[in-house]
Amino acid sequence: MEFLNALIASSPALLKGLSVTIGLTALTLVFSVILGAIIVAMKMSSIPAFSRFATGYLAVVRGIPLIALLFVIYFGIVSVFKVDAFTAAAIGLSVHSSAYVAEIFRSGINSVHNGQVEASRSLGMSRVATMSRVVAPQALRVVVPALVNQAIVSLKDSAVASFITVDELFMTAQRLSAATFQPLTYYAIVSLYYLAMVGAMTFFAGKVERYFQKRG
Amino acid sequence: MTQIDGQPRVRITGATKKFGDNVVLNNVDLEVRAGEVAVLIGPSGAGKSTLLRCINGLERLTSGTVEIDGVRLEYRERSLNHMREHVGMVFQSFNLFPHLTALENITMAQVVVGKRSKSEAHDRAAKLLFRVGLGEKANSYPSALSGGQQQRVAIARALAMTPKLMLFDEPTSALDPELVGEVLQVMRELADEGMTMVVVTHEMRFARQVADHVVLLADGAIAEEGPPEIVLDAPASDRARSFLSKLQADG
Ligand SMILES: Nc1ncnc2c1ncn2[C@@H]1O[C@H](COP(=O)(O)OP(=O)(O)OP(=O)(O)O)[C@@H](O)[C@H]1O
Ligand SMILES: [Mg+2]
Repeated sequence: MEFLNALIASSPALLKGLSVTIGLTALTLVFSVILGAIIVAMKMSSIPAFSRFATGYLAVVRGIPLIALLFVIYFGIVSVFKVDAFTAAAIGLSVHSSAYVAEIFRSGINSVHNGQVEASRSLGMSRVATMSRVVAPQALRVVVPALVNQAIVSLKDSAVASFITVDELFMTAQRLSAATFQPLTYYAIVSLYYLAMVGAMTFFAGKVERYFQKRG
Repeated sequence: MTQIDGQPRVRITGATKKFGDNVVLNNVDLEVRAGEVAVLIGPSGAGKSTLLRCINGLERLTSGTVEIDGVRLEYRERSLNHMREHVGMVFQSFNLFPHLTALENITMAQVVVGKRSKSEAHDRAAKLLFRVGLGEKANSYPSALSGGQQQRVAIARALAMTPKLMLFDEPTSALDPELVGEVLQVMRELADEGMTMVVVTHEMRFARQVADHVVLLADGAIAEEGPPEIVLDAPASDRARSFLSKLQADG
Protein backbone atom coordinates (compact mmCIF):
# COMPACT_ATOMS: atom_id res chain seq x y z
CA MET A 1 0.00 0.00 0.00
CA GLU A 2 2.73 2.33 0.98
CA PHE A 3 4.57 1.36 -2.17
CA LEU A 4 1.53 2.13 -4.32
CA ASN A 5 1.15 5.52 -2.68
CA ALA A 6 4.80 6.28 -3.33
CA LEU A 7 4.40 5.10 -6.93
CA ILE A 8 1.49 7.46 -7.50
CA ALA A 9 2.90 10.38 -5.59
CA SER A 10 6.24 10.24 -7.36
CA SER A 11 4.78 9.92 -10.84
CA PRO A 12 4.74 13.61 -11.83
CA ALA A 13 8.42 13.98 -10.99
CA LEU A 14 9.45 10.65 -12.49
CA LEU A 15 7.45 11.20 -15.69
CA LYS A 16 9.26 14.50 -16.12
CA GLY A 17 12.55 12.67 -15.64
CA LEU A 18 11.38 10.01 -18.07
CA SER A 19 10.74 12.59 -20.75
CA VAL A 20 14.35 13.79 -20.40
CA THR A 21 15.57 10.17 -20.57
CA ILE A 22 13.50 9.53 -23.71
CA GLY A 23 14.82 12.69 -25.32
CA LEU A 24 18.38 11.74 -24.48
CA THR A 25 17.90 8.19 -25.80
CA ALA A 26 16.27 9.43 -29.00
CA LEU A 27 19.12 11.84 -29.66
CA THR A 28 21.64 9.10 -28.91
CA LEU A 29 19.92 6.81 -31.39
CA VAL A 30 19.81 9.33 -34.20
CA PHE A 31 23.38 10.50 -33.78
CA SER A 32 24.88 7.09 -33.13
CA VAL A 33 23.27 5.78 -36.32
CA ILE A 34 24.67 8.72 -38.30
CA LEU A 35 28.11 8.46 -36.67
CA GLY A 36 28.07 4.67 -36.94
CA ALA A 37 27.27 4.86 -40.67
CA ILE A 38 30.14 7.29 -41.22
CA ILE A 39 32.51 5.04 -39.28
CA VAL A 40 31.60 1.89 -41.27
CA ALA A 41 31.90 3.80 -44.51
CA MET A 42 35.40 4.85 -43.44
CA LYS A 43 36.23 1.39 -42.12
CA MET A 44 35.30 -0.20 -45.45
CA SER A 45 36.83 2.54 -47.55
CA SER A 46 39.70 1.68 -49.86
CA ILE A 47 41.50 4.81 -48.66
CA PRO A 48 43.91 3.57 -45.95
CA ALA A 49 43.83 6.77 -43.89
CA PHE A 50 40.07 6.48 -43.50
CA SER A 51 40.02 2.84 -42.54
CA ARG A 52 42.86 3.36 -40.07
CA PHE A 53 41.05 6.27 -38.47
CA ALA A 54 37.91 4.12 -38.12
CA THR A 55 39.87 1.26 -36.57
CA GLY A 56 41.40 3.64 -34.06
CA TYR A 57 38.07 5.26 -33.25
CA LEU A 58 36.46 1.88 -32.59
CA ALA A 59 39.34 0.72 -30.40
CA VAL A 60 39.37 3.90 -28.32
CA VAL A 61 35.63 4.26 -27.88
CA ARG A 62 35.10 0.64 -27.00
CA GLY A 63 38.09 0.59 -24.71
CA ILE A 64 36.86 3.40 -22.43
CA PRO A 65 34.11 2.90 -19.86
CA LEU A 66 31.06 4.97 -20.71
CA ILE A 67 31.27 6.90 -17.47
CA ALA A 68 34.88 7.87 -18.11
CA LEU A 69 34.06 8.91 -21.65
CA LEU A 70 31.21 11.00 -20.37
CA PHE A 71 33.38 12.78 -17.81
CA VAL A 72 36.12 13.43 -20.34
CA ILE A 73 33.62 14.89 -22.76
CA TYR A 74 31.78 16.84 -20.08
CA PHE A 75 34.80 18.44 -18.49
CA GLY A 76 36.67 18.63 -21.77
CA ILE A 77 33.95 20.27 -23.78
CA VAL A 78 32.48 22.42 -21.07
CA SER A 79 35.87 23.99 -20.51
CA VAL A 80 36.08 25.02 -24.16
CA PHE A 81 32.52 25.52 -25.39
CA LYS A 82 29.61 26.57 -23.28
CA VAL A 83 27.42 23.50 -23.53
CA ASP A 84 25.01 22.27 -20.90
CA ALA A 85 25.18 18.89 -19.18
CA PHE A 86 22.35 17.49 -21.32
CA THR A 87 24.21 18.23 -24.55
CA ALA A 88 27.42 16.78 -23.17
CA ALA A 89 25.55 13.63 -22.14
CA ALA A 90 23.96 13.34 -25.59
CA ILE A 91 27.39 13.63 -27.23
CA GLY A 92 28.99 11.12 -24.87
CA LEU A 93 26.24 8.56 -25.21
CA SER A 94 26.16 8.97 -29.01
CA VAL A 95 29.89 8.52 -29.37
CA HIS A 96 29.83 5.48 -27.10
CA SER A 97 26.89 3.87 -28.90
CA SER A 98 28.23 4.72 -32.37
CA ALA A 99 31.04 2.19 -32.00
CA TYR A 100 28.52 -0.59 -31.39
CA VAL A 101 26.21 0.64 -34.12
CA ALA A 102 29.15 0.65 -36.53
CA GLU A 103 29.87 -2.99 -35.72
CA ILE A 104 26.19 -3.85 -36.15
CA PHE A 105 26.17 -2.16 -39.57
CA ARG A 106 29.34 -3.95 -40.55
CA SER A 107 27.97 -7.36 -39.69
CA GLY A 108 24.78 -6.47 -41.58
CA ILE A 109 26.73 -5.51 -44.69
CA ASN A 110 28.86 -8.63 -44.43
CA SER A 111 25.73 -10.76 -44.19
CA VAL A 112 24.73 -9.73 -47.72
CA HIS A 113 26.00 -12.36 -50.11
CA ASN A 114 28.75 -11.20 -52.44
CA GLY A 115 26.71 -12.49 -55.38
CA GLN A 116 24.36 -9.56 -54.78
CA VAL A 117 27.18 -7.09 -55.26
CA GLU A 118 28.39 -8.93 -58.35
CA ALA A 119 24.92 -9.03 -59.86
CA SER A 120 24.49 -5.33 -59.28
CA ARG A 121 27.93 -4.37 -60.55
CA SER A 122 27.54 -6.55 -63.63
CA LEU A 123 24.46 -4.51 -64.56
CA GLY A 124 26.69 -1.44 -64.71
CA MET A 125 25.63 -0.04 -61.32
CA SER A 126 28.32 1.96 -59.54
CA ARG A 127 29.77 1.08 -56.15
CA VAL A 128 27.69 3.77 -54.49
CA ALA A 129 24.45 2.73 -56.20
CA THR A 130 25.17 -0.89 -55.35
CA MET A 131 25.65 -0.02 -51.70
CA SER A 132 22.55 2.15 -51.43
CA ARG A 133 20.15 0.17 -53.62
CA VAL A 134 21.22 -3.42 -53.11
CA VAL A 135 23.37 -3.93 -50.03
CA ALA A 136 21.97 -1.40 -47.56
CA PRO A 137 18.29 -2.37 -47.91
CA GLN A 138 19.15 -6.02 -47.33
CA ALA A 139 21.57 -5.27 -44.50
CA LEU A 140 18.92 -3.15 -42.80
CA ARG A 141 16.61 -6.12 -42.29
CA VAL A 142 19.32 -8.15 -40.66
CA VAL A 143 20.33 -5.25 -38.50
CA VAL A 144 16.97 -4.20 -37.07
CA PRO A 145 16.91 -6.60 -34.08
CA ALA A 146 20.48 -5.72 -33.11
CA LEU A 147 19.76 -2.01 -33.49
CA VAL A 148 16.70 -2.25 -31.26
CA ASN A 149 18.82 -4.10 -28.75
CA GLN A 150 21.38 -1.32 -28.91
CA ALA A 151 18.60 1.23 -28.39
CA ILE A 152 17.58 -0.63 -25.24
CA VAL A 153 21.19 -0.57 -24.04
CA SER A 154 21.36 3.16 -24.74
CA LEU A 155 18.15 3.76 -22.81
CA LYS A 156 19.59 2.05 -19.75
CA ASP A 157 23.03 3.60 -20.27
CA SER A 158 21.48 7.05 -20.23
CA ALA A 159 21.19 6.70 -16.44
CA VAL A 160 24.88 7.57 -16.18
CA ALA A 161 23.97 11.10 -17.29
CA SER A 162 22.89 11.55 -13.68
CA PHE A 163 26.59 11.63 -12.77
CA ILE A 164 26.98 14.88 -14.68
CA THR A 165 23.82 16.36 -13.13
CA VAL A 166 21.36 15.79 -15.96
CA ASP A 167 17.87 15.68 -14.48
CA GLU A 168 16.80 12.50 -16.15
CA LEU A 169 14.84 9.57 -14.80
CA PHE A 170 17.51 8.03 -12.61
CA MET A 171 18.59 11.37 -11.18
CA THR A 172 14.99 12.06 -10.22
CA ALA A 173 14.80 8.76 -8.36
CA GLN A 174 18.05 9.58 -6.59
CA ARG A 175 16.66 12.90 -5.42
CA LEU A 176 13.43 11.28 -4.22
CA SER A 177 15.24 8.60 -2.29
CA ALA A 178 17.56 11.13 -0.68
CA ALA A 179 14.64 13.35 0.32
CA THR A 180 12.58 10.51 1.81
CA PHE A 181 15.28 8.16 3.10
CA GLN A 182 13.54 5.34 1.21
CA PRO A 183 16.11 4.30 -1.39
CA LEU A 184 14.68 0.83 -1.90
CA THR A 185 11.20 2.15 -2.72
CA TYR A 186 12.34 4.72 -5.28
CA TYR A 187 15.00 2.61 -6.94
CA ALA A 188 12.42 -0.17 -7.29
CA ILE A 189 9.95 2.29 -8.76
CA VAL A 190 12.45 3.70 -11.22
CA SER A 191 13.36 0.16 -12.23
CA LEU A 192 9.73 -0.39 -13.14
CA TYR A 193 9.86 2.66 -15.38
CA TYR A 194 12.90 1.30 -17.21
CA LEU A 195 11.29 -2.13 -17.47
CA ALA A 196 8.13 -0.66 -18.96
CA MET A 197 10.15 1.28 -21.54
CA VAL A 198 12.19 -1.74 -22.50
CA GLY A 199 8.99 -3.81 -22.78
CA ALA A 200 7.46 -1.24 -25.11
CA MET A 201 10.59 -1.15 -27.28
CA THR A 202 10.72 -4.93 -27.50
CA PHE A 203 7.08 -5.05 -28.54
CA PHE A 204 7.66 -2.41 -31.19
CA ALA A 205 10.76 -4.26 -32.43
CA GLY A 206 8.70 -7.42 -32.92
CA LYS A 207 6.28 -5.48 -35.09
CA VAL A 208 9.09 -4.03 -37.21
CA GLU A 209 10.69 -7.43 -37.67
CA ARG A 210 7.44 -8.99 -38.78
CA TYR A 211 6.91 -6.14 -41.23
CA PHE A 212 10.28 -6.87 -42.84
CA GLN A 213 9.67 -10.61 -42.88
CA LYS A 214 6.39 -10.19 -44.75
CA ARG A 215 8.11 -8.51 -47.69
CA GLY A 216 10.24 -10.84 -49.75
CA MET B 1 22.16 -21.29 -87.64
CA THR B 2 22.94 -17.71 -86.62
CA GLN B 3 24.27 -14.99 -88.83
CA ILE B 4 27.86 -14.15 -88.14
CA ASP B 5 28.95 -10.81 -89.51
CA GLY B 6 32.65 -11.31 -89.02
CA GLN B 7 33.53 -8.71 -86.39
CA PRO B 8 35.00 -10.16 -83.19
CA ARG B 9 32.78 -9.10 -80.32
CA VAL B 10 35.16 -10.45 -77.71
CA ARG B 11 38.87 -10.85 -78.18
CA ILE B 12 40.93 -12.25 -75.36
CA THR B 13 44.66 -12.17 -75.87
CA GLY B 14 47.30 -13.79 -73.70
CA ALA B 15 44.99 -13.92 -70.71
CA THR B 16 46.77 -15.00 -67.55
CA LYS B 17 45.16 -14.98 -64.14
CA LYS B 18 46.83 -15.89 -60.90
CA PHE B 19 45.35 -16.11 -57.43
CA GLY B 20 48.50 -15.80 -55.39
CA ASP B 21 50.77 -18.52 -56.75
CA ASN B 22 47.88 -20.43 -58.26
CA VAL B 23 47.90 -19.95 -62.04
CA VAL B 24 44.25 -20.31 -62.98
CA LEU B 25 44.45 -19.08 -66.57
CA ASN B 26 47.61 -19.52 -68.52
CA ASN B 27 48.00 -17.41 -71.64
CA VAL B 28 44.52 -17.99 -73.07
CA ASP B 29 43.53 -16.59 -76.47
CA LEU B 30 39.89 -16.62 -77.45
CA GLU B 31 37.68 -14.85 -79.97
CA VAL B 32 33.92 -14.73 -80.04
CA ARG B 33 32.30 -13.21 -83.07
CA ALA B 34 29.16 -11.10 -83.05
CA GLY B 35 26.11 -13.35 -83.18
CA GLU B 36 28.10 -16.38 -82.17
CA VAL B 37 27.36 -18.73 -79.29
CA ALA B 38 30.52 -20.00 -77.62
CA VAL B 39 30.20 -22.77 -75.06
CA LEU B 40 32.94 -23.29 -72.47
CA ILE B 41 33.28 -26.77 -71.08
CA GLY B 42 35.88 -28.44 -68.94
CA PRO B 43 36.49 -30.14 -65.61
CA SER B 44 35.86 -28.47 -62.28
CA GLY B 45 38.58 -25.99 -61.41
CA ALA B 46 39.68 -25.61 -65.04
CA GLY B 47 39.14 -21.86 -64.89
CA LYS B 48 35.87 -21.57 -66.83
CA SER B 49 34.19 -19.21 -64.39
CA THR B 50 37.35 -17.21 -64.01
CA LEU B 51 37.67 -16.75 -67.77
CA LEU B 52 34.04 -15.68 -68.04
CA ARG B 53 34.37 -13.27 -65.12
CA CYS B 54 37.46 -11.73 -66.67
CA ILE B 55 35.38 -10.76 -69.71
CA ASN B 56 33.25 -8.32 -67.70
CA GLY B 57 35.97 -7.40 -65.24
CA LEU B 58 34.56 -9.16 -62.17
CA GLU B 59 38.02 -10.68 -62.06
CA ARG B 60 41.03 -8.70 -63.08
CA LEU B 61 43.54 -10.30 -65.44
CA THR B 62 47.06 -10.61 -64.13
CA SER B 63 48.29 -10.05 -67.66
CA GLY B 64 46.84 -10.07 -71.15
CA THR B 65 43.92 -8.13 -72.56
CA VAL B 66 40.20 -8.34 -73.12
CA GLU B 67 38.64 -6.33 -75.92
CA ILE B 68 34.94 -5.90 -76.52
CA ASP B 69 34.09 -4.64 -79.99
CA GLY B 70 37.69 -3.55 -80.27
CA VAL B 71 37.63 -1.52 -77.04
CA ARG B 72 40.13 -2.68 -74.51
CA LEU B 73 38.83 -3.43 -71.04
CA GLU B 74 40.12 -1.05 -68.40
CA TYR B 75 39.63 -1.42 -64.70
CA ARG B 76 38.70 2.14 -63.82
CA GLU B 77 35.28 2.38 -62.16
CA ARG B 78 33.79 4.55 -64.90
CA SER B 79 34.92 2.44 -67.82
CA LEU B 80 33.94 -0.78 -66.09
CA ASN B 81 30.44 0.53 -65.42
CA HIS B 82 30.11 1.73 -68.97
CA MET B 83 31.27 -1.60 -70.42
CA ARG B 84 29.01 -3.60 -68.14
CA GLU B 85 25.95 -1.76 -69.36
CA HIS B 86 26.46 -3.63 -72.60
CA VAL B 87 27.50 -6.99 -71.24
CA GLY B 88 24.90 -9.03 -69.38
CA MET B 89 25.78 -11.75 -66.92
CA VAL B 90 23.73 -14.64 -65.58
CA PHE B 91 24.94 -16.51 -62.50
CA GLN B 92 24.60 -20.07 -61.33
CA SER B 93 22.86 -18.92 -58.13
CA PHE B 94 20.60 -16.38 -59.94
CA ASN B 95 21.47 -13.57 -57.54
CA LEU B 96 18.13 -11.84 -57.86
CA PHE B 97 17.67 -8.96 -55.44
CA PRO B 98 15.48 -10.50 -52.73
CA HIS B 99 14.08 -7.21 -51.50
CA LEU B 100 12.64 -6.33 -54.90
CA THR B 101 9.80 -7.86 -56.91
CA ALA B 102 10.50 -9.57 -60.21
CA LEU B 103 9.51 -6.43 -62.06
CA GLU B 104 11.60 -4.16 -59.81
CA ASN B 105 14.58 -6.47 -60.27
CA ILE B 106 14.39 -5.80 -63.98
CA THR B 107 13.58 -2.11 -63.69
CA MET B 108 16.13 -0.88 -61.18
CA ALA B 109 19.39 -0.84 -63.12
CA GLN B 110 17.74 0.59 -66.23
CA VAL B 111 16.70 3.62 -64.20
CA VAL B 112 19.71 3.91 -61.90
CA VAL B 113 22.25 3.59 -64.68
CA GLY B 114 20.26 6.25 -66.48
CA LYS B 115 19.28 4.35 -69.56
CA ARG B 116 15.56 4.97 -69.31
CA SER B 117 12.81 6.83 -67.53
CA LYS B 118 10.80 4.96 -64.93
CA SER B 119 7.86 4.33 -67.21
CA GLU B 120 10.01 3.20 -70.14
CA ALA B 121 11.93 0.87 -67.85
CA HIS B 122 8.69 -0.46 -66.45
CA ASP B 123 7.28 -1.15 -69.93
CA ARG B 124 10.43 -2.87 -71.01
CA ALA B 125 10.56 -4.98 -67.86
CA ALA B 126 6.94 -6.06 -68.33
CA LYS B 127 7.61 -7.05 -71.94
CA LEU B 128 10.71 -9.03 -70.99
CA LEU B 129 8.90 -10.85 -68.20
CA PHE B 130 6.23 -11.79 -70.69
CA ARG B 131 8.87 -12.95 -73.11
CA VAL B 132 10.47 -15.32 -70.58
CA GLY B 133 7.01 -16.65 -69.79
CA LEU B 134 6.55 -14.91 -66.44
CA GLY B 135 4.12 -12.14 -67.32
CA GLU B 136 1.92 -12.95 -64.35
CA LYS B 137 4.80 -12.97 -61.83
CA ALA B 138 5.65 -9.28 -62.07
CA ASN B 139 4.77 -8.56 -58.45
CA SER B 140 6.22 -11.71 -56.92
CA TYR B 141 9.28 -11.57 -54.74
CA PRO B 142 12.11 -13.97 -55.68
CA SER B 143 11.45 -16.10 -52.59
CA ALA B 144 8.05 -16.95 -54.07
CA LEU B 145 9.52 -18.16 -57.38
CA SER B 146 10.98 -21.53 -58.32
CA GLY B 147 14.65 -21.74 -59.28
CA GLY B 148 13.78 -21.93 -62.96
CA GLN B 149 11.54 -18.89 -62.69
CA GLN B 150 14.20 -16.96 -60.77
CA GLN B 151 16.77 -17.72 -63.42
CA ARG B 152 14.42 -16.57 -66.17
CA VAL B 153 13.88 -13.30 -64.28
CA ALA B 154 17.66 -12.99 -63.98
CA ILE B 155 18.00 -13.41 -67.74
CA ALA B 156 15.31 -10.79 -68.29
CA ARG B 157 17.11 -8.47 -65.87
CA ALA B 158 20.30 -8.73 -67.91
CA LEU B 159 18.45 -8.35 -71.22
CA ALA B 160 16.76 -5.20 -69.97
CA MET B 161 20.04 -3.36 -70.38
CA THR B 162 20.00 -4.20 -74.12
CA PRO B 163 23.34 -6.00 -73.97
CA LYS B 164 25.35 -6.87 -77.03
CA LEU B 165 26.93 -9.80 -75.24
CA MET B 166 25.55 -12.22 -72.67
CA LEU B 167 27.69 -14.27 -70.29
CA PHE B 168 26.20 -17.35 -68.60
CA ASP B 169 28.00 -19.18 -65.79
CA GLU B 170 26.40 -22.60 -65.39
CA PRO B 171 22.91 -21.10 -65.48
CA THR B 172 21.16 -24.43 -64.94
CA SER B 173 23.52 -26.16 -62.50
CA ALA B 174 21.62 -25.08 -59.40
CA LEU B 175 18.26 -26.18 -60.80
CA ASP B 176 16.22 -29.29 -60.22
CA PRO B 177 16.37 -31.39 -63.38
CA GLU B 178 12.76 -30.73 -64.31
CA LEU B 179 13.39 -26.96 -64.32
CA VAL B 180 16.46 -27.00 -66.56
CA GLY B 181 14.48 -27.16 -69.80
CA GLU B 182 12.58 -23.91 -69.33
CA VAL B 183 15.82 -21.95 -68.83
CA LEU B 184 17.61 -23.60 -71.76
CA GLN B 185 14.57 -22.82 -73.92
CA VAL B 186 14.88 -19.10 -73.17
CA MET B 187 18.61 -19.26 -73.97
CA ARG B 188 17.94 -21.10 -77.18
CA GLU B 189 15.50 -18.44 -78.31
CA LEU B 190 18.02 -15.78 -77.44
CA ALA B 191 20.64 -17.53 -79.55
CA ASP B 192 18.20 -17.82 -82.45
CA GLU B 193 17.64 -14.08 -82.31
CA GLY B 194 21.34 -13.58 -82.88
CA MET B 195 22.53 -12.67 -79.38
CA THR B 196 26.25 -13.11 -78.86
CA MET B 197 26.68 -15.50 -75.96
CA VAL B 198 29.44 -17.12 -73.95
CA VAL B 199 28.04 -19.99 -71.94
CA VAL B 200 29.72 -22.16 -69.34
CA THR B 201 27.66 -25.32 -69.08
CA HIS B 202 27.67 -29.06 -68.59
CA GLU B 203 24.56 -29.44 -70.75
CA MET B 204 26.09 -31.27 -73.70
CA ARG B 205 22.85 -31.47 -75.62
CA PHE B 206 22.49 -27.71 -75.42
CA ALA B 207 26.10 -27.32 -76.56
CA ARG B 208 25.53 -29.61 -79.48
CA GLN B 209 22.35 -27.87 -80.61
CA VAL B 210 23.13 -24.23 -79.95
CA ALA B 211 26.88 -23.70 -79.89
CA ASP B 212 28.71 -22.38 -82.92
CA HIS B 213 31.96 -22.83 -81.11
CA VAL B 214 32.91 -25.14 -78.26
CA VAL B 215 35.96 -24.44 -76.12
CA LEU B 216 37.33 -27.11 -73.84
CA LEU B 217 39.31 -25.60 -71.00
CA ALA B 218 41.60 -27.75 -68.87
CA ASP B 219 44.12 -26.58 -66.27
CA GLY B 220 43.73 -22.99 -67.30
CA ALA B 221 44.44 -23.50 -70.97
CA ILE B 222 42.41 -24.29 -74.06
CA ALA B 223 42.78 -28.01 -74.72
CA GLU B 224 40.60 -28.05 -77.78
CA GLU B 225 38.21 -25.75 -79.62
CA GLY B 226 36.07 -25.76 -82.69
CA PRO B 227 32.58 -26.59 -83.91
CA PRO B 228 30.61 -28.85 -81.56
CA GLU B 229 30.52 -31.80 -83.93
CA ILE B 230 34.31 -31.88 -83.89
CA VAL B 231 35.09 -31.05 -80.26
CA LEU B 232 32.30 -33.14 -78.78
CA ASP B 233 32.19 -36.06 -81.19
CA ALA B 234 35.65 -36.36 -82.65
CA PRO B 235 38.09 -34.66 -80.31
CA ALA B 236 41.74 -34.79 -81.25
CA SER B 237 43.34 -34.43 -77.82
CA ASP B 238 43.54 -37.03 -75.07
CA ARG B 239 42.42 -34.41 -72.58
CA ALA B 240 39.20 -33.83 -74.45
CA ARG B 241 38.55 -37.53 -74.90
CA SER B 242 39.03 -38.32 -71.23
CA PHE B 243 36.87 -35.37 -70.12
CA LEU B 244 34.06 -36.32 -72.48
CA SER B 245 34.09 -40.00 -71.62
CA LYS B 246 33.95 -39.08 -67.94
CA LEU B 247 30.95 -36.85 -68.60
CA GLN B 248 29.20 -39.69 -70.36
CA ALA B 249 29.97 -42.10 -67.55
CA ASP B 250 28.54 -39.61 -65.03
CA GLY B 251 25.28 -39.15 -66.74
N1 LIG C 1 38.56 -15.62 -55.70
C1 LIG C 1 39.42 -16.67 -55.76
N2 LIG C 1 40.49 -16.72 -54.94
C2 LIG C 1 41.37 -17.73 -55.00
N3 LIG C 1 41.28 -18.76 -55.84
C3 LIG C 1 40.25 -18.77 -56.71
C4 LIG C 1 39.25 -17.73 -56.71
N4 LIG C 1 38.35 -18.01 -57.67
C5 LIG C 1 38.74 -19.15 -58.22
N5 LIG C 1 39.88 -19.63 -57.66
C6 LIG C 1 40.59 -20.86 -58.05
O1 LIG C 1 40.76 -20.85 -59.44
C7 LIG C 1 40.60 -22.13 -59.98
C8 LIG C 1 39.60 -22.11 -61.10
O2 LIG C 1 38.35 -21.75 -60.59
P1 LIG C 1 37.09 -21.56 -61.51
O3 LIG C 1 35.97 -21.22 -60.58
O4 LIG C 1 37.37 -20.61 -62.60
O5 LIG C 1 36.87 -23.01 -62.10
P2 LIG C 1 35.67 -23.59 -62.96
O6 LIG C 1 36.25 -24.14 -64.19
O7 LIG C 1 34.61 -22.56 -63.10
O8 LIG C 1 35.18 -24.78 -62.03
P3 LIG C 1 33.69 -25.30 -61.71
O9 LIG C 1 33.28 -26.18 -62.83
O10 LIG C 1 33.85 -26.05 -60.43
O11 LIG C 1 32.81 -24.08 -61.57
C9 LIG C 1 40.23 -23.04 -58.83
O12 LIG C 1 41.39 -23.73 -58.44
C10 LIG C 1 39.79 -22.10 -57.76
O13 LIG C 1 40.09 -22.62 -56.50
MG1 LIG D 1 32.68 -22.31 -62.32
